[in-house]
Amino acid sequence: MIYLLLVLWLFLAFCIIGEKRNIRIVIYLCVFSFISSISFLILGSPDAAMAEAAIGTFTGIFFIICFEKHRELRFNEKNASVFSRDEDPPDIDDERAVQALLKLRKKARARTRGKHNAKSILQRYLAPGLFSILLFILFIVFLPGGEANPYLRNQFLTQFSEHVGGENAVTAIYLAYRVYDTLFEALVLVIAVVAVIHMSYSSDILVKGGKPSHVGQYVVVVSVLRVICAIVLLFGFYLIMNGHITAGGGFQGGLFIAAFFICRYLVYDIYDLPITKVIRMEELVFLSTVIFAVLIVFLGTINHLPPVFHIVYMIVMNFLIGLKVACGFLILFYRYIAIERR
Amino acid sequence: MINIIAILMFFISFFGLITSHSMIKSIVFTVLMESAVILFFLSLGFQSGIIPPIGVNLENLEHVADPLPQALMITAIIIGVAVTTIKITILMSFFRKFKTTDWDEARILSHHHEEDENNND
Repeated sequence: MIYLLLVLWLFLAFCIIGEKRNIRIVIYLCVFSFISSISFLILGSPDAAMAEAAIGTFTGIFFIICFEKHRELRFNEKNASVFSRDEDPPDIDDERAVQALLKLRKKARARTRGKHNAKSILQRYLAPGLFSILLFILFIVFLPGGEANPYLRNQFLTQFSEHVGGENAVTAIYLAYRVYDTLFEALVLVIAVVAVIHMSYSSDILVKGGKPSHVGQYVVVVSVLRVICAIVLLFGFYLIMNGHITAGGGFQGGLFIAAFFICRYLVYDIYDLPITKVIRMEELVFLSTVIFAVLIVFLGTINHLPPVFHIVYMIVMNFLIGLKVACGFLILFYRYIAIERR
Repeated sequence: MINIIAILMFFISFFGLITSHSMIKSIVFTVLMESAVILFFLSLGFQSGIIPPIGVNLENLEHVADPLPQALMITAIIIGVAVTTIKITILMSFFRKFKTTDWDEARILSHHHEEDENNND
């Protein structure tokens, strides 16, 4: 079963290599993410499978917005040599500069076409292919063989319920034994949000309007989405609250809560999120996550607490992480639909 | 066997990354490489009939998956998509400015652009 899935997985990679049309690439990518998710489930890790399934949605949406913008710009260029003023980035709103850039681009395109023809297939595909095969063989040869040492695995599996509590070993590891990783992950998400805001073409933080989602005209889709909306939100909170006894946890629950806002956007076309408040809230939640983890785990308080408080610690920590991830992805999603999509 | 498939996937994506002309495809291939790495780590210690590390009295069971790579890979998945959004944002502000997503064209254009800026100074 798993080998069949993985063969399909490799086949999809070849499809993406050979594909020229952008919109098909995003469909292949979503199918790829789906197959990865099922493979992770078969490999015995429902937590990673859930995270991958939720992540596939977000990656798909971000790529679709990117392709849409790309196509729109190409279309504008074909139909009118002069860009309309609203479409221009702030750097080149001078019409003459646009014309000069277009002329330059035509020249560049001619030059690269000549270059593409001049390069033979051997140079373009055979040499990189041989190089990749060589690296692959080297990797296989030097891959350490033999049985893996099960010491650490047994240690974690036998002692996690005594040391940390709960029934999910994965949650116990990322909330207690390796809480460093979780804190740095939260930090990377904060940095990603800051980087996306600062590297964007627009310096706006808050906008009131944007393109409509055009889903409102399909009655069936809207009525289904209205039902799904509530279920997604409930499921997110369920995952966060029960992360310590079943599969799930802060990351997956946060992603599902952020997915609720996607449904909300699709149905109601809402842009008036108080995004500056969400950014402030994300920072505060990150700070409280760090302080809470330091107080409970790094100072060793968890060893002196009775087991009931371990459960309380895990629920509060999962809740903070879930809120953090939900805020982070909500800001990223808002940036893409309201500002990058304009 | 699964880890060899994961390494094969990694190098197929690597091949795609170094041969593609389009910047969008390059970003897609980095996503695929990331998935390959995650599959490699999750497949460590795989046996058929493996069960997830959830429940009580796990020490008595034999076919329990290793929880440590799973906990690390969840964080890796979230970080992966955060980094992907940064890549897409850089790409979008790039093609808003230069109106191209081809690597070769972009190199020539940005070279001319630098020259123009130097001339203006």
